Amino acid sequence: MKVFNTLDTVFNALGRFFKNVPYAGYGLFLLLLWLIPLFHSVDVISSGQLGIFAYIVVITVAALGLNILLGFSGLISLGTAGFVGAGALGVGVFLDLGLPFELAAIATLIVSTALGALIGLFSLKVEGIYLAIATLFVGEILRQIFTTVPIFGGQSIMIGSVTLFGFIELSTFSQSERRVLFAIIAALLVGMMILMQHIVKSKTGRALLAMSRSSSAAQAMGVSLLKYRLMAFSLATFFATFSGIMYALYNQSVPTTQWTLDLSLFVIAMVVVGGYKSIYGTFIGAFIIYGIPNLYLKDLFGDVSYIFSGLLIILVILFYQNGVAYLAVDIRLLYAKLKRRIHGGSHGKAPLD
Amino acid sequence: MAEILRIIFNSLETGSAYALAALGIVLIFRTSKTTNFAQGMIGALNAYIAAFVALNFGLSIWLVSVIALATAFLTGITIDTLMIRPAKNVLPVSKQIITLGIIMIIIGIIPFLFGVNNFQLASYFPTGSIDILGATLRFNTIFVITVSFAVMGLLFWFIQKTRWGLAIRVTASDETTSKLMGVPTATVTMFAWASAAMLATLAGLFVAPRVSVYPNMLLNVQISAFFASTLGGFSTFLGPVVGSYIIAFLRNFTTFYISDIWGNVMVYMGILVFLYFKPYGIFGKKPQKKV
Repeated sequence: MKVFNTLDTVFNALGRFFKNVPYAGYGLFLLLLWLIPLFHSVDVISSGQLGIFAYIVVITVAALGLNILLGFSGLISLGTAGFVGAGALGVGVFLDLGLPFELAAIATLIVSTALGALIGLFSLKVEGIYLAIATLFVGEILRQIFTTVPIFGGQSIMIGSVTLFGFIELSTFSQSERRVLFAIIAALLVGMMILMQHIVKSKTGRALLAMSRSSSAAQAMGVSLLKYRLMAFSLATFFATFSGIMYALYNQSVPTTQWTLDLSLFVIAMVVVGGYKSIYGTFIGAFIIYGIPNLYLKDLFGDVSYIFSGLLIILVILFYQNGVAYLAVDIRLLYAKLKRRIHGGSHGKAPLD
Repeated sequence: MAEILRIIFNSLETGSAYALAALGIVLIFRTSKTTNFAQGMIGALNAYIAAFVALNFGLSIWLVSVIALATAFLTGITIDTLMIRPAKNVLPVSKQIITLGIIMIIIGIIPFLFGVNNFQLASYFPTGSIDILGATLRFNTIFVITVSFAVMGLLFWFIQKTRWGLAIRVTASDETTSKLMGVPTATVTMFAWASAAMLATLAGLFVAPRVSVYPNMLLNVQISAFFASTLGGFSTFLGPVVGSYIIAFLRNFTTFYISDIWGNVMVYMGILVFLYFKPYGIFGKKPQKKV
């Protein structure tokens, strides 16, 4: 079968290439993302759709952080929305104090990550459902503070045009500058993906995995529960806060009321549907959970579209437990099976692989 | 004195709604091992049905309440058979996200069936009150508190004293073993979902006159119910009820006497600190863990 041989060679070469040069994959992914503002400039994508893509990019970062927590450490957080909000609103508050954007972002990240570490400390005592609800407490406390404390303003907080590195001023009101902002947050997303890749392939990632299988066994192997619980929660809050900062950067106006339990649940759904432990899968999950309903279904069905997105979530969980990311693995298995069946006709028994 | 009495009455009323919702959450948590985030939304859906029937057929609040409880029973059974039972072998977190899917479906169904406007629902006793030491106690409040206590009492009696209650308790403690012993665990779980839906609907009917009927009407109640279950301990049925009244009282007390901005935050922080020292709630026991 000549077709299969050539296909095999192509697939193998591609597979080897992306395995040996992982950055090539991320580079390609970034180029694909950069096509979106390009399409926007030639009016293939409307401004509203660009906003939806931007939201997907932003929320993927929060979902990546949650994937470290959920996929690698087996812990759950219902407070993600609170930290995304803290990132977005925190930047606004620090900018109001007169800090430049970069410093404001760093200050927000430090404060928020410290708070996350505190939850990590808490998680040593409390576990299971109690820990999940404890993180919900934190999320609710943050939400309460956002909506009632005067420094965050009433309905929303205005940031206005953002000055990067002291000289590049970008405002979301100008269409072309908005495209630049999209390109920047896309690059930030890919940066965070690479960061996550490094974290999970390092000693930390292995320790987290060991901890999620059995905390007692991990401790016996010398993994410090204190250190890595703190690490897991700090990383998750770091990613969530970073995602909030990206939100502030792109939208330049941050509502105070939308950081509720629902958003946290959606972020969890992105990880579950996309695939535990999968970096690209998290993005696909975000696209399925937020993108498909808002880009396509809403135009067709209006408010009723929620029924379809709800069904979509349930169906994926019921019939595709591992998440969409493992679709690639299954396709490869299917391909091998197909090849065997066709080969089987001419060569007798197919070799097992 | 009048103020503190008013706060107590108020807390007993809101606490009752929390307690009803919390009992449903714990019932589901114990039997199907999942956190039901859709508890509030299920209650809201049936409150919509009640309000819709009341508006279009002019029935009294008593009659529509019975109808809403009946539809709640059916909602619970439908959800369990279609979505929860097939998810038996799904990971725990994925199972929780199924309840998010249920929320989405209900959010989509509500405008489809009832339109986008909010509804109003009458209270059971719109007028009439008595004065106790200067604080007004409305008949409706008395009714809500009495019914809640009666329902909870009935549920406790059912769980502790009847054969089916025993089935619930053994399913909650170990599903596989109970199945081996011939307990119809599938029916028990279905019953748990049906009663949880009815409890949520009751909470919705009690809250509705004050907040009007809209999709997120029970969000606050549901979150408080989660907090109450954690405070009281998920491993008992009494704990969440006690936790509900404690949370309702503390919230009303702090927002009235200390600060309406920081009141809730202080209560939540206080409970978090409490949980740090008593991680399984007031009544909860530490589960035995095998290595």
